[in-house]
Amino acid sequence: MAPVNAVMRIIDVPLRRLQKATGIGGMATFFLAPNMLIFGIFVLLPLVINFVYSMTGGTAFFLSERDFIGGEQYSRLFQCQNYLDPMSCQEDAFWTAVGNTFWFVVLQVSLMILTALITALILNRELAARSFWRAVFFFPVLLSPVVVGLIWKWILQRQGLLNFGLYQFGMDPYTWLTDRNWTFAATIGVSLWAHMGFYALIILAGLQAIPKDLYEAAEMDGTKPARVFWRITLPLLAPNLLVVVVLALIKSVQVFDEIYVLTGGGPGTSTLFLTQYIYETGFASALRNPGLAAAASILMGGVLVVLTLIQLGIGKRGENKGKR
Amino acid sequence: MGEIKLTDVKKSFGALAVLKDIDLHIKDGEFVVFVGPSGCGKSTLLRTIAGLEKVSGGEIAIDGKRVNEVTAADRGLAMVFQSYALYPHMSVRQNLAFGLENSNMPKAEITERINEAARMLEIEAYMDRRPGQLSGGQRQRVAIGRAIVRRPTAFLLDEPLSNLDAELRVSTRAELAALHARLGSTMIYVTHDQVEAMTLAHRIVVMRAGKIEQVGTPLELYNEPANRFVAGFIGAPHMNFLGADVLAVSAGAATLSFSRGYRADLQIGKAKLHVGEKVTVGVRPQHLVVSDDPQHPAVKIYLVEALGSETVVHGDLGGEKVLAVLPGQQKLNAGDTVHFDLSKPVLHVFDDNGLRLFTHPGSGA
Ligand SMILES: Nc1ncnc2c1ncn2[C@@H]1O[C@H](COP(=O)(O)OP(=O)(O)O)[C@@H](O)[C@H]1O
Ligand SMILES: [Mg+2]
Repeated sequence: MAPVNAVMRIIDVPLRRLQKATGIGGMATFFLAPNMLIFGIFVLLPLVINFVYSMTGGTAFFLSERDFIGGEQYSRLFQCQNYLDPMSCQEDAFWTAVGNTFWFVVLQVSLMILTALITALILNRELAARSFWRAVFFFPVLLSPVVVGLIWKWILQRQGLLNFGLYQFGMDPYTWLTDRNWTFAATIGVSLWAHMGFYALIILAGLQAIPKDLYEAAEMDGTKPARVFWRITLPLLAPNLLVVVVLALIKSVQVFDEIYVLTGGGPGTSTLFLTQYIYETGFASALRNPGLAAAASILMGGVLVVLTLIQLGIGKRGENKGKR
Repeated sequence: MGEIKLTDVKKSFGALAVLKDIDLHIKDGEFVVFVGPSGCGKSTLLRTIAGLEKVSGGEIAIDGKRVNEVTAADRGLAMVFQSYALYPHMSVRQNLAFGLENSNMPKAEITERINEAARMLEIEAYMDRRPGQLSGGQRQRVAIGRAIVRRPTAFLLDEPLSNLDAELRVSTRAELAALHARLGSTMIYVTHDQVEAMTLAHRIVVMRAGKIEQVGTPLELYNEPANRFVAGFIGAPHMNFLGADVLAVSAGAATLSFSRGYRADLQIGKAKLHVGEKVTVGVRPQHLVVSDDPQHPAVKIYLVEALGSETVVHGDLGGEKVLAVLPGQQKLNAGDTVHFDLSKPVLHVFDDNGLRLFTHPGSGA
């Protein structure tokens, strides 16, 4: 303990001086400052800069070389004859990406919750080698998105593992990644595979936090398993499920890296999602337009904020009605 | 009806034998308390009766019917859990109704049963609150209410009072006794607190390490403990145990020699003792009486606790710790020496294996 005490004494002196000078409240500011600084530089400032970018035009990267054009980028994004038909819009790629992302989010998030819940329920039972199975389902979460994309590309491509397997069983190979529907399904399947373990883990933690004796009380009363699930497990799992929905939704709207590696948005624009649109518009295309990309990302951020607020509102209401 | 018969019941968790050959016959309407130190298998025994644990051997019968293969729900028993196990997201009313709804009972009857239980337990005022909005004592009542509405053949209660504060525990204890008198159903009650056992039970089952040590009424256990363990467990403060040698034996009497050569003459009745045998003598703290005669064993006092109504004396008798509860307020201090007449109190004499050989009736104070 002696060295610890010595260090403490050294720190003690300046801190006491500081507190005398600033008062207790000032100390809170002092301790929070480093964090606030990092948050300010790496989150808040880019947000503001991004917003400024969305008000400028041209292809130049430096803000000083860009012209202020007000809300023109936004009105360009919304320039449409018919919002349900992307092709009638000036920025048809944006609206295609919005449509793709919408369907992706709806399908992926609902399947995600369903599969994660079922997986967690199974992993929560007394089964042989339970730790092993828990690890197996969590393992893909640890992979880098690029690796995920490459693994599945290697499986699904024309001369990939899947077709090799089909061939072995005497079936015809198929060009999965050039079929619009199969590719879209694959993006959902791959992202489920890659992230499901994470959400299953959150739900599993929630399941294990439910006291065993509630189930025993239900057992004494002869409660049928389905009723136990709907009336006990699910309501008590609600807080965890809410967290899962919020996180899964945000992640799903932002889907990019593993899908970009797997499909590159194709075939055609069938798996072009919002983040990829933003990336390509701002950085990768020949006619890059950072202002338009910034405007699209501000819109996307706005949607995420609204979604999250709605969910937190639902959660709050449930909580007030609920336990404590 | 609620007659429960256990024959040769065994329970193991893997290699760990938690219950060993439990034989017990609980009569209809009886209030039976399982008592024993923590980890002795009381909860496990209760849970095997409930059907929450499968027995590893032996038979459980309810009202003459073997129920080993019968599910917990179909045994007709209700359990009150130590943690209460109330559903936190349901109101009190929903908690009470939940079990009844499983059996497709008509709504009107459910309502009637709930209202009756609510009246009986005086929980009507908070039927629409959730468990989280109730005090510990209120939650406890709801847990009992949830058992009552099922009209079970027997109630199983696992340390139901252990989460209450001391005062509430005493009053709830009395209410439980009254409830039992009113319902007349069999109750099996688990506790590690021998005072609870003594005050509530018709019969107490004393357990140790998965075995039943003795079954009897509270006073039977107090007056005629089968062995040293029961003698030490029942009664507060614990019985004093002193080592002694048998010096001489004659018809119906014996002379024992305690440490430092103190002697006492005991009436041994028909018990058989051998000269030279080593025995343990148990004497309750309340039975010790101070003597003026310096010939009697000397006890050096190291702590005096004056409780007003009585005085608790901690002392040392020839190297062995003794505790005496003396009536009223005694003028004694740490460091004093007192003498205890060992032929006057009731003395329980145990053999080498801890079994009680006989009880010296004493001559009172
Ligand atoms: N599910 C279980 N798995 C393994 N051991 C258990 C289990 N339940 C109880 N035990 C063990 O059985 C013994 C008795 O436990 P229990 O019946 O809860 O004791 P008590 O209620 O008398 O304190 C303890 O040693 C405990 O560790
Ligand atoms: Mg227990």
